[in-house]
Amino acid sequence: MTDMKRRLSNRSKLRQNAAAWMIMAPSIALFAFFIWVPLLQSVVMSLFETTNITLDKFVGFANYADIFQNPLFGKALVNTLMYTFWSLVIGFLTPIFMALVISEAPRWRGFFRTAAYLPNILPALAAVLLWSAFFSGEESGAINSILALFGAEPTSFLDKSWLVIPLIVLISTWKGAGATALIYMAGLSGINPELYDAAAIDGAGVFRRLRHITLPSIFNLGSTLMILQIIAIFQILYEPMVLTHGGPDNSTLSLMLLMWRYITGGDMDYGKASATGVLIALILLGFTVIYNILNKRKSDSV
Amino acid sequence: MNIGGYNGRRRKYVRGQYTGVIREFDAKTPGVRAMQIFIYVLCGIIALICIFPIIWVFLAGFKDLREFMSSTSILPRSFDFSRYVYTWERLRIYNNYLNSLYVVAVSVISALIFNGLMAYGLAILKPKGYKVLNALVMLSMLIPSTISIVPLFVNIQHLDMGGFFLPLWLAAGANTFFVVLFRQFFESFPKSIIEASRIDGCSSLQIFSKIILPLSKPICVVVAIYAINGAWSDFLLPYLVLNGTKFETVMVRLYTYSTQQTATADNMMRSVVFSMIPPIILFFIFQKKLTTNIITSGIKE
Repeated sequence: MTDMKRRLSNRSKLRQNAAAWMIMAPSIALFAFFIWVPLLQSVVMSLFETTNITLDKFVGFANYADIFQNPLFGKALVNTLMYTFWSLVIGFLTPIFMALVISEAPRWRGFFRTAAYLPNILPALAAVLLWSAFFSGEESGAINSILALFGAEPTSFLDKSWLVIPLIVLISTWKGAGATALIYMAGLSGINPELYDAAAIDGAGVFRRLRHITLPSIFNLGSTLMILQIIAIFQILYEPMVLTHGGPDNSTLSLMLLMWRYITGGDMDYGKASATGVLIALILLGFTVIYNILNKRKSDSV
Repeated sequence: MNIGGYNGRRRKYVRGQYTGVIREFDAKTPGVRAMQIFIYVLCGIIALICIFPIIWVFLAGFKDLREFMSSTSILPRSFDFSRYVYTWERLRIYNNYLNSLYVVAVSVISALIFNGLMAYGLAILKPKGYKVLNALVMLSMLIPSTISIVPLFVNIQHLDMGGFFLPLWLAAGANTFFVVLFRQFFESFPKSIIEASRIDGCSSLQIFSKIILPLSKPICVVVAIYAINGAWSDFLLPYLVLNGTKFETVMVRLYTYSTQQTATADNMMRSVVFSMIPPIILFFIFQKKLTTNIITSGIKE
C-alpha cells in the first residue's frame, strides 16, 4: 500500500482524480438536472409571480402569504396531519404485527412472505383504481357484496367524509405493509435464538420473551421506519387524486394534492405550487430534525 | 446466509423451523400448540387479504358491464377472454404497451450505467472532494423528490424535451436508491484487486468495464428489477411530459382513461389488469431475489 503510494507521482494522482471526475460527470449532470437544480429552483420560484412557466416579477413571500390565506391550505394541512395520524395508528403497527406472526410460523414462511410482498410491486395508480372499484358504492362493489352476505345494505364508503381518510390509509397500508414487514422480519431474524432459550430456562413464557427480548430489539428499527413512514404519508397524492379527487367537500385534500391543483388546475400557478412544495419540505425537515434530537437524547441517556 | 430460516435442504424437516419467540420445546405444550394454529390462521388471513383483491380484479375483468354492475358474485358467469381482447383493442392499449416497453428498456440501461458510474466514483475511485458529492447525493434522499417536480417540468419545457421519452430515460439515471445499492456492493470489493490492475496499467474506465462490471452481476440484476418496475409504474413525470401525445405510457393512459366521461367500469378494470400483468410476471420470475434483497439492504441501513 505505502509502496504503491510512493510509486504514484503527484502528477499521475492528479490525472487519476481528473479521470474519476470525468467518469462521474454525466451522472453528476443528471443528478443536477433532475434533483439538485429543481430543488433550488423551487425555492426561487416560490418567491416569484409566474405566468405559465416564466418568472414575471419578484414578490418576496407574497405567494406564501396567499397560500396561508387560502382556506383550502388550512384544510389540506389538517387533512394531511389526519393522514399521518391514521397512518401511525393503522400503518405503523400492521407491518410489525405481520412480521411477528409470519416469523412464528415454522413452515410455509416463504409463501406467506411472498404473499405479503405481492401488493408492493403493483403500480401505485393501478392499486388505487383497483381499490376504488373494491369500495364502490354499488351493491356489486366487492366490499358491499361481502357485507351483503351478512345482510347489510350497500354503503357508498367514499362519500362519507369521516371514513374516507382512514380508508385511504388502509389502502396505502395494504400496498406498503408487506415491504416494511420484510424489513422487520430481517431485524427479527437477527435476534440470537439463544437469548430466547436462556429466557425460557429462566422460566419466561412466550409472551414475556416477546415483551422483553423481541420488542426491545426491534425498537430502533421501528423508530427509523416510523419517521420514513411519516415522510412518505405526508406526500400522499395518488390516492386522494384518483379515488376521491380530494372530495367529498375537500375532506381528503392533501398538501400534495393542493400543489398538484396549482399546477394542473385552470390557473397554472407555478409560483404558488412551488411555495406549497417548499412548505411541505420544510415541515418534513422539521420532523426529521425533531426525530434526530429525540434519537440523540435517547442514545445519550442510555 | 440463511435468511429468515429459508433453506431448501431443510424443507423436508417435518416440524419446520423455529427461529422466533416460540422455541421447538415450547411446541410440545398444548397451549402453545393452540397458539401455533392461531398463528397459521392469522398468516392465512394476511395472505388472503394481500392476494384476494388482485384475484378479484382479474375475475372482474371477465364480466361485462351489466354483470359487473349488478352481480354480487365474485366469480364471473363465464371466462370469456374476448372481453379482454376487446378492451385491449378498443382502448389501443397495445400502443401504450409499446411506449412503456420502450421507456422501460432504455431506462434500465440508463439506470445501470449512470448510477453505477456514480457509485464507482464514490465507493472506489474516491477522487479529491468526493465527500461533498457524497453528501449531496445523500441529501437528496432526505428531501422529498416530489417537491422538485414543478421546476423540473418547467426546465424540461424550456429545453423543449417535452412530449418524448428522453426526460424519462435520463431521470432513471439519477436515482439515489440505486447509487446506494451499487455503492454498498462496490465497497465490499477487495482494494488489492483494484490496486493490482492499476499497476498493470488499467485506466479507471477499464477497471470498471473489465473488473468491476463482470463481478457485479448480482447487484445489476437487483437494480435492473427495481428500475424496470419503477419505470413501468412511474406516473407523475410521465404524465406531465407525455400527456396528450401519442407517446403516453400505460400508466398515463390508465389515468387519463379513468378521468374520461366515457370510461366504463368494466373497461377500467381490464385496463387495471393490463397495467398489473408485467410487474406480476416480473415478480414471479425474481420473487426470491426481491424478497431477500430488501432484507439485506434493510439491515444495512
